[in-house]
Amino acid sequence: MSPQPSALPSPSASLFSVSAALARREFTRFIRQPQRVVGSLGQPVLFWVFLGAGFTPSFQPPGMSGMSYLEYFYPGVLMMMILFASVFSTITVIEDRDQGFLQGVLVAPIPRLAIVLGKVFGGTSIALFQAVILLLATPFLGLPVTMGGLALIVMAMVLTSIGYTALGFAIAWSMKSTAGFHAIMMVFLMPLWLLSGALFPTAGAPGWLAGLMAINPVAHAMTILRAPFYASPASVLASASYQTGLAVVVVWVALGLWVSVRRVSTRDGGL
Amino acid sequence: MITLETLTHVYPARRHQAARTAIHDLSLTIPDGTFCILSGPNGSGKSTLFRILCGLMLPTAGRVQIGGHDALQHPDAVRRMTGVVFQSPAVDKHLSVIENLRLHGALYGLKGAAFEHRLTAAIGWSDIASRLNDRVDSLSGGLARQVELAKVLLTEPRLLLLDEPTTGLDPASRRSFLVALRHLQRDRGMTVLMTSHVFSEAEDADSVAIMRDGHLLVHDSPRALKALVGREMVVVETATPTRLAAALLAELGLPALVHGDEVRIDAIPASGPDSGPNSGAVALIDTILQRWQPEITSIAVKQPSLEDVFIHVTGKTAVAEDSRR
Repeated sequence: MSPQPSALPSPSASLFSVSAALARREFTRFIRQPQRVVGSLGQPVLFWVFLGAGFTPSFQPPGMSGMSYLEYFYPGVLMMMILFASVFSTITVIEDRDQGFLQGVLVAPIPRLAIVLGKVFGGTSIALFQAVILLLATPFLGLPVTMGGLALIVMAMVLTSIGYTALGFAIAWSMKSTAGFHAIMMVFLMPLWLLSGALFPTAGAPGWLAGLMAINPVAHAMTILRAPFYASPASVLASASYQTGLAVVVVWVALGLWVSVRRVSTRDGGL
Repeated sequence: MITLETLTHVYPARRHQAARTAIHDLSLTIPDGTFCILSGPNGSGKSTLFRILCGLMLPTAGRVQIGGHDALQHPDAVRRMTGVVFQSPAVDKHLSVIENLRLHGALYGLKGAAFEHRLTAAIGWSDIASRLNDRVDSLSGGLARQVELAKVLLTEPRLLLLDEPTTGLDPASRRSFLVALRHLQRDRGMTVLMTSHVFSEAEDADSVAIMRDGHLLVHDSPRALKALVGREMVVVETATPTRLAAALLAELGLPALVHGDEVRIDAIPASGPDSGPNSGAVALIDTILQRWQPEITSIAVKQPSLEDVFIHVTGKTAVAEDSRR
């Protein structure tokens, strides 16, 4: 075969453009499945309204007088949305493998990180899309959020979403069935959220529970998501608990991405 | 284009499953610009070989050279020059045809004018030009396969790997897919390796490789392979094939192969000096009919096809194994 200049492979695509193309696919797929949009948006809102209405009369945690449960639970619902959006977008790893789409991506000359980032950014954009709809409720709750605060809230959501998606990706990568992933989600991913302070405050929880919450990265994500609702950006950034939370979340994100890339890069070997 | 040297792949043992050798010491060379069909019964190791060639799997031992690159050390260099069509669809059926093509282009750094330019050439041969905005799940099986091939052609691969690409297609779609593939292969000087066990697909190939139990049994042109079976054979259909085969061996000294209801004799003894082209076979048919006519449903002389080659090279071992059990 004579080499023809026109037949030479084109220069490889950049990490960013490949990740963006894969992420765009995730979002397009999401929008084209209206039941997914309704389900992932509806469930947290229903939880919020029902639990919020039900618990408000009995919700009297120390040092939080005057706060309704509806208000307390609001950042928790945002977090729940991020959890669901991220989890569902990583379930598509299993579907992509099952239906064959993934193998076409794996044989392409692209950095393995792009495969992870495509999924992660796709999941993150879906999570943000939903969370922004819910954020529109903020003014009606009477929460004093400034533009700077909003920026911090969005940053917290983006980081958390990347952390969750990367974690889900690493788990889903070698799983054969979506049923198996649902099981993992119920006993591992959901509890991370339950013990994050999304549903109930850490203060007053039994010691062992408070211990679990302290090592739970989602609890730290909850800290950095909740804080900007109640204080000015400057004072939030200056607080030690916020800085610790941010550091933990950044480590969580980096670790999740690293493990995921490792998993994608490993080619099945024989003996 | 492809050189495999002493390739071996062993699947590690798992729970309830011992370690299994899928490929044994396999060496194979596929020259540039040729069309090779890789065939073999289910479980022969061809899927494992295919996965190794696409870089999805690392072999236990051996070397894989593709286009002058060590495919095991430098998978990216190989990925750049290779296009793969998998048995299961690798397009997203929720997206439209053009969205799938754009996405694939983006993976290879193709966009804008460069993409549009390539697109024309990639779909020119196909019937999908008028369906670009339709979702893939609304296409027929044959058209969906065309999308797969068009997608892969966008990147102008030098090597095309296809894993049973015509599975699930009706005969007409199968034929048009293959005709298009063969034309494209010749026009573009691509090297094509395609796994298949439909032998009508292999007649037109430059070479056919047949695997069984992880071994490469033969690799040669279809013509040379047919010569392996012999010029012709006598095929006897009977309700009691095993008994007839045994009788043929005992009474006439003729080795015969049992395949379903058929007994096949490919070592036809030459008859007397006045024999015409068919007389060996005709004389044999006469003899067989005289002795066993009541048992015989039909009897015929057959020119070998690739399917017969397949049965010839893979079947003998099977019969031998059966008798050992």
